[in-house]
Amino acid sequence: MTRIQGQGTQGRRFDVNDEVDFIVVGSGPAGGSVARELTRLGHNVVLLEQGKQYTRADFHHDEFATVFNNQYANTPPAHIQTWRKTAKDKAEPRHGLLYANAVGGSSMHFAANYWRFRPGDFNEFSRHGGVPGAAMADWPITYDELEPYYTAVEWAIGVSGQGGLDPNEGRRSRQYPMPPLDITGPGVLLEVAAKKMGWRALPAPMAIASRPYNGREACHNCGFCWYFPCEWGAKSGTNFTMVPEAVASGRCELRTECKVRNVETDDRGRVTGVVYFNPDRREVRQRARAVFLCANGGETPRLLLMSKTNRFPDGLANSSGMVGKHLMFNGNTGAGAEFEHEVNGFKGPPVTRIVLDTYDLHTKGHYGGGGFDFRYPFPPLLSALNMPPDGPQWGADYKKQLRQLHTRISHCWGHVTQMPSPTNQVDLDPEAKDSWGLPAIRVTFKEHDADLKLYKYMFDRSIELLKAAGAKRTWGGPPGDDPGQAVHLLGTCRMGNDPRTSVVDASHRAHDVRNLFIVDGSSFVTSGRGQPTLTIQALAFRAADLASRMAKRGDLG
Amino acid sequence: MQDSLSRRDFVATVGSLGAVWLLADVADRSEAIAHAAQQVKQAQPALQFFTPEQAAEVEAFASRIIPTDDTPGAREAGVVYFIDRGLTTWAKDQQPMFTAGLAKLPNDVGAKVRGQTRLSALTPAQQDEVLKSIEKTPFFGIMRFATLAGMFSLPEHGGNKDFIGWKLVGQVEAMEFKPPFSWYDQPANRRALLGGDA
Repeated sequence: MTRIQGQGTQGRRFDVNDEVDFIVVGSGPAGGSVARELTRLGHNVVLLEQGKQYTRADFHHDEFATVFNNQYANTPPAHIQTWRKTAKDKAEPRHGLLYANAVGGSSMHFAANYWRFRPGDFNEFSRHGGVPGAAMADWPITYDELEPYYTAVEWAIGVSGQGGLDPNEGRRSRQYPMPPLDITGPGVLLEVAAKKMGWRALPAPMAIASRPYNGREACHNCGFCWYFPCEWGAKSGTNFTMVPEAVASGRCELRTECKVRNVETDDRGRVTGVVYFNPDRREVRQRARAVFLCANGGETPRLLLMSKTNRFPDGLANSSGMVGKHLMFNGNTGAGAEFEHEVNGFKGPPVTRIVLDTYDLHTKGHYGGGGFDFRYPFPPLLSALNMPPDGPQWGADYKKQLRQLHTRISHCWGHVTQMPSPTNQVDLDPEAKDSWGLPAIRVTFKEHDADLKLYKYMFDRSIELLKAAGAKRTWGGPPGDDPGQAVHLLGTCRMGNDPRTSVVDASHRAHDVRNLFIVDGSSFVTSGRGQPTLTIQALAFRAADLASRMAKRGDLG
Repeated sequence: MQDSLSRRDFVATVGSLGAVWLLADVADRSEAIAHAAQQVKQAQPALQFFTPEQAAEVEAFASRIIPTDDTPGAREAGVVYFIDRGLTTWAKDQQPMFTAGLAKLPNDVGAKVRGQTRLSALTPAQQDEVLKSIEKTPFFGIMRFATLAGMFSLPEHGGNKDFIGWKLVGQVEAMEFKPPFSWYDQPANRRALLGGDA
């Protein structure tokens, strides 16, 4: 019997021939949460993570390593990807999909914006109808079905905020566990702007502890938050919350630096386990009664497509042909401005106030909508590289400008709907291989015209907000037809009641495979308004709860 | 590159000028960076890649990107050592670009100032003229990025000596800040701006 020893292993040890209750692939917002819930409900879990496990002591204010060399993120050439605009184009290597490659997944380095969806996000198709070129559909679940899980997640990980101020928010069964974080310079500027425009600046719900919480430190306002893992452990990523709890349960083995290559199935079409490369890049086959895929909206569909067999010739769980389709990232717009006094965006959390008055823009002739925040989380190098484009870019005047502006800039960032276009997708590149010899992710992506129109509208409002806040000058432009590098990876294994048009059912069970569950950004039917992580985690809690019930009543065989 | 500031454009920034430094084909850049940082801790700055003559040219170049005036600039920040160290560790594969750019520099200098071949021998005004004549070239782009990276990356990478770059722009190195963080969130100013809504 082979036993996985030492390297990259934490918690309880299982033998590869033990048929564990569940394998969970991915330890990010979804997988970490699923593992924690399944162990809490009494199940044995092997949790596989392709990245490393880091501790607080590993983290630092090192912009060069973190931002410019992607220390914690997927990086070519090891994680090579390719990209093309349409199916007619040849895909070229491009680092298009960015995600944290570590325990905690992208929740270890995200800005921690933690919006709930509104009830209307789940049935936009019924409310507003379809859009040509986009496969709009309702979610198979409602806000009310998800609400208990939203609340459970907010309390389990520790979210700071103040419910009840937004007249359009959904029903909330419990207040946030902690009050909002201290307001920052950009936060006050957004308050001023919103007031002038007759809008409402709301305290931002943030997955950052404003008070000591469950043995973790409160935020110390060091400012290295967006893009950085937290040196204080105050950011409520699953690396500090869900995963340690799962490991401490005594029912979970966390194996890091383990890259899953395929999900195995038997001749009845049931999942029997997964095959992965261990840290020494040797193949290991782990058996399990059921599998959860939580590898993110890029890697999850890739894994399904790599798991094709004679019985599943188009990839596992893909009888609908929908695996990898409807890739969405959320649109985002940005504008910059100079203010008279010091804004000091590098102090405190990245976001403390948000404006949601543009959440639903159907009455303005748009599909979807979005929200805004003010922030300037750019550390000095990023800041120096992003001075106003019409100003000097080197020399004495450039230096003067750096001294004047680094402390006096605020951006306005817009977070926007993106359409589920069936032609936007993730599949396997026919040629490129990653460093494990596995087919690279190939992205095909073109912006939808309705989205481009919406981005323009949101960008124009950004400029208005910055001017209303008293900007001396503004700069920037609306996004064009290329999303650059994308971080919210959504929609590629969509939920639905109809097995012909969706990959998983309303309980996240694959329509085609009784003991395979898929939950992460790929589950999204529509993109919401730009802050998906809380919804991913609420879906994960719900999926784990439902899968546990199925397992306990013997419904996974 | 700097057309706007959303996440997508920030990445575009990294992807254009930064790419030549970022996508160095070093098997594990984290280790290379750590190795480079360790060398910085161990030794006084010493050139490992550039000849003294090349280093003088690189320093003269960097000193026009961020000049020294009433405050320190790229020269005092030790940018040349940052670049030198990068080229022997995590940006090894970029050596040919620098070597080629520096080899061509005497021509660029001579084209602007008759009879001269060394940038470092010119007056600041003449140096600016030379740089202006090549500011659209890839070599200028990579030198600008490398200078800024050496100015603002943590001192352990070999530049930004004593946090000169951070002090220049008002970035404070601290593990903790307490409110008020800025002029705007000082309670009196916030009240004045917002009236009863503060």
